[in-house]
Parts: sequence; structure tokens; C-alpha cells
Amino acid sequence: MGLAGRAILAAALSMPILETARAETVPESAVISYKYLDYQESQLGEDRIGVKARAWSVLLPFAGDWSVQATYTKDAVSGASPRFWSKAAASMRDNREAKDISVTRYFSHDTLTIGASLSDENDYRSEGFSFAGTHSTEDKNTTFNYGFAVTNDDISSNGLQENKRKVDWALGITQILTSKDIVQLTVTDVQGKGYFTDPYKLFDLRPDSRHQNTAQVRWNHFIEGSDATLRLSYRYYTDSWSIKAHTLGVEYVQPLPGGWVLTPSLRVHDQSAAEFYVNPADFPWTATYSSLDQRLSAFGARTYGFKVSKTFDANWTVDVKYEKYLQRSGWRLFGQGSPDIDPFDAKMFQLGVSYRF
Amino acid sequence: MSDTPFRFNFSAMGSPCELLICADSRAKAELAAEAGVAEVKRIEHKYSRYRPDSLVSAINARAGSGEWSEFDNETAWLLNFADTLYSNSEGLFDITSGVLRRVWNFDKALIPSLAALEAVLPLIAWSRVEIKNKAIRLPEAGMEIDFGGFGKEYAADSAAVALQKKGIAHGYVNLGGDIRVIGPQPGDSSPWKMAIQDPRQRDEIVATIPVFQGGLATSGDYEKYFEHDGRRYCHVMNPKTGVPVSYWQSVSIVAPLAIVAGSCSTITMLMEEKGGDWMKKSGFSYLGISNDGNRVSS
Repeated sequence: MGLAGRAILAAALSMPILETARAETVPESAVISYKYLDYQESQLGEDRIGVKARAWSVLLPFAGDWSVQATYTKDAVSGASPRFWSKAAASMRDNREAKDISVTRYFSHDTLTIGASLSDENDYRSEGFSFAGTHSTEDKNTTFNYGFAVTNDDISSNGLQENKRKVDWALGITQILTSKDIVQLTVTDVQGKGYFTDPYKLFDLRPDSRHQNTAQVRWNHFIEGSDATLRLSYRYYTDSWSIKAHTLGVEYVQPLPGGWVLTPSLRVHDQSAAEFYVNPADFPWTATYSSLDQRLSAFGARTYGFKVSKTFDANWTVDVKYEKYLQRSGWRLFGQGSPDIDPFDAKMFQLGVSYRF
Repeated sequence: MSDTPFRFNFSAMGSPCELLICADSRAKAELAAEAGVAEVKRIEHKYSRYRPDSLVSAINARAGSGEWSEFDNETAWLLNFADTLYSNSEGLFDITSGVLRRVWNFDKALIPSLAALEAVLPLIAWSRVEIKNKAIRLPEAGMEIDFGGFGKEYAADSAAVALQKKGIAHGYVNLGGDIRVIGPQPGDSSPWKMAIQDPRQRDEIVATIPVFQGGLATSGDYEKYFEHDGRRYCHVMNPKTGVPVSYWQSVSIVAPLAIVAGSCSTITMLMEEKGGDWMKKSGFSYLGISNDGNRVSS
């Protein structure tokens, strides 16, 4: 090779971006994002719990094989707890601050992530530590993921000093099936010990341990012609409080010219009641544990959602999402709903902006 | 599982672009394509001289003001590469020569006056561009730099790497004829057969070049040109005289990277009759068609 050709080739090959491919992809650009969420529950036309949350997060690749992600969330909770019987609980207001950070290292077929989180409000402090990883096969068709997390919560309310600890495991496998289909199976196991009782609820006394398991299957199907993706999911949930739940989700992701993406979604949920859930009408109840929390009751629920996102300049993405949640005792798919509960609704509005650079 | 080719068309950098991605699933090809297109757009966004918010526009806007413009590692590398091209082409490949566009109007097919040419020639001076500590400044108002001479090829290489990072081993990136092949055809590992356009008959193919992997780029006098008094004036111009080159109709080069193939084919065009020797000495495969229609190839 001539001198000039060699010099030009040598100069070209010194370019870091043209290095041989690395299998597990480090994010190539940094992303800053902001999310605003407005959640409002209502029952019989009256507002219950409302949450307004703001979250700032940043994802930063560094040193070639690493990335760091950090999120700061500030939310304000206000309103009254869902009503039971027909009385509303005392009104409340609280602010919460949460921070989490995680660092990921990318290897040829693996990624490893460690993370820490801290959440603070005036009567509740939660600290967590997590470890997670992925492993892909040579052909990248199969990816295994695993995760482990521990959380410690300290509750101090009205002279109460309590503690709760959770150990969380997750295992999953993602398989590219055909040219248009990807499936994912994930199982989780959460062992919790400590204070589960809600200090703000009347007649609430819960067992001091909870063991939760979920199994989830997700299936993404690409629809040729329309370039859309159909996302189906089913989750089975069971816990040591005797709640069994089924959740079916459908999302249809339709990209349109000009960087628009429309995503209508529907989620259908069915659950049985916790063994210590008591029907307010049966007062006085005599069992050791009791709760009137309607999240522990037997019900059916539907969530209707619609999301619109638009990408500008390939760097800015703005998305707006609206969800309406409707919970009814009479909407159970399997079995009877808990009696005497008023219909319970919630709506969620979310605005997100992200910038990549 | 055997890989199937999936084709994705898009437009970027003023050209029709194509990604040919072999994958065992549409989903996987899609994911890779997304990353490849994003990489091309990223480079276009960052370096386009047509975008007022690009780095290049910012540098050019400060020409003659004495102000420095800071740049990042990627830009440092591109500037270093530009310098290598300059010193290995007897100063013919000069990224400050874009100022000639001000006097050569291809839409109106007008030959500029000697006075107009003489006014811009002093602004073409890579050797006068000042670079220190990751900052650059152009000493004279009106000077400009642009990476148009190899930006598309660089984007083809970078997009190919983005596809490889998504696990793609077979396929190619084609940005308006600047091609980077990732790996041969799946199955029998045969090369991709790349068609070279006839420089005088738009829809005819003058040759097909087999490429297993690496870059293939073609420079020609037919992409942008006008004719006047029986002479063809093309967009590749000698930075010393300010006049379009005329010896080659087209030069195609195959090299390990598209950016190398593209720069070498442009240098060959700029070297005119000496280009044949230069191309031969470069050591890369080539196919040149001179203005009398004669072909030279390795």
C-alpha cells in the first residue's frame, strides 16, 4: 500500500466511534427527561387521594462501558383516603422526595447494574439497594435477566415507630421468536416482614409478613404493512394474604409520519379479597386482623389509556398520556366482588419531555 | 435460524438512503435500523452546514471574530482526519474550499468572473486554520469549513457500527451511493454486488463491484454539474484554481472503511491526470473512468 493510502487509512482507523462493535450496547447519548404526573382518585363524585408528582431524570454514558442513571422525584399527596362505608377518612397532605441512582457496566454479552434509592416524607422513610443483570446468547435471540433488591422502610406516625423490610427477586427470559414476535416471561418473588398496617386507616391491622409472587408473560407482535406493534401481556399475582389477581393488558403502538406515535391501551384486572378484608356492614368483626382498604377487596377494574408522543429533530420527545381507571365490585371475571363498596375511579394525566444529546 | 434481509429506506443528508439488514427476525432488524438511522441523523444534525444550529455553522459564524469554538473528541478526530487528507493530497483536499459555492452557481449555470474567483480563493486555506486545546478559529471573516467531503461516508461507517452493536453481522449501509458493507450475504457468504452508475447514462450500470465487507464510494462529475460551451463544470473543484476538475467522469474505490474510500476517490478526482497513479499507489481496489470514456481498474 502506498504511503498516502496507508496514512489515510491509519487516520481513519484511529476514530474511536469506528471501533469494533461491542455486543451489549452502552447508551450512545445522554438523556435528560422530565415527567409531570397528576393522579386523582374519586368516589361518588368526590375527590379522594390526589398525587402531583414531578420527576427529573438523567442518563449519562461514561468511560466507554458504563452508564449512570439518576432520578429525583418530588410529589405531593393530598386529599382524603377512599371512603369505606360512607364516611371519609381525615383529610391529609404530605410531600415526598425520592432519589435513586444506578450504575450499569456493559460487557460483551452481559450487563450488570447496581442501584440505591432513598425516599423521604415526614412520617415514612424508605431506603433500597438493588442489583440486576442481563445475559444474552451469542446470536442475541435470547436474553436472561435477573434482579435482587432489598428495601427498608421506617414508619413514624403519631408516636408510632415501626419498620418493614422487603427482599425482592426477579427472573426473566426474553426470546425473539419469529421475524415479528418477541415474548418475555418474568417471575418475581417478594418477601416482606414488618409493619404493613396503614396507620391512617381506621380498623386497619394487618399481618406482619407478606409473601407475593407474580408471573408475567408479554408478547410483542409487529404488524407488517401498518408498521404497528401489538403488545399483549398477562400477569398472575398471588400472595400470602390470599389475594389472587389476573391482569390482562393490550396496547397498540402506531407510529405515524412526522415522528408521531399513538398508543391506545386497555387493561383488565380481576382480584379476590385478602382473607382479612372485612365488609364494613359486618361490623363488629372479631378476627385478629382486619382491613377496610378497598385495594384489598374483591373487585374487577378496567383502565383505558391513550398516549401520544412526538419526536422533534430526533432529539426531543414529548409525550402526553391519559388514563382512566374504573374499579367496580361487580366487574369480577372470576367469582364475587366484595359487597357494599361504592364505585371507585381514578384518572391519571402524564406529561413527559426528554432530550437526548 | 437463517438470516433474512430486511430493507429500510429513508432520506438523510440530501440523499436517498438504504439499510440492508440481515436478521432472523423483523423485530431485531427494526431495532437495529432504528439505531442506524438515529446515528446518521445524529451526524447530520451535528455537522450539517445547512443547519444554523450545527457545530460547523457555529464555527463558521465566528470566522474572523477572533473567538474560539470549542469542540469534542469526535470533532477533533474529524479535523485530524481532514488534516491527514490535506497533507496526503498535496493540499488538494481542503475542507475550507466550500467558499467556492458562493461563486459557482450550479442552478444558474454561470461561470464566475475571474475577479469573483480571486476574491474567494484567499479564503481557502486549511493551513491558516488555528487549532489549539480542542478549540478552533478561522482567522478571516468569510472563511468556512465543512465536512461535506467525507461526512456522508463517515455517517455510513458510524451507522454500520451502530448496526453491529445491535448484533447485525450481514448487510450494508448505503447513503446516496456511499456504501459501507458490514458483512457478506448470509448463507453462502457471497459478496454483495454493488452497481456502479454509468457517469453519462443515468439509468445504465457501468460495472458491478463485489464487496464482502468495507467501504465503497464513488465520486463523479455527474452528481451536480452544468455545461457551458461544450465543457462540463462539476461540483468537485480544485481549491488552488477554484475551477472544477475535468479529467475523470467517475472514480470508485473499495477500502476498509467508507470514509477512506470516499476521500481517496475525491482525491483522485482532484489530482486529475495524476490521479491514476495516486489511486494505484493507494493500494485500494478502484475503477476510474476518464473523460474520454477509458476505464482503468485494479
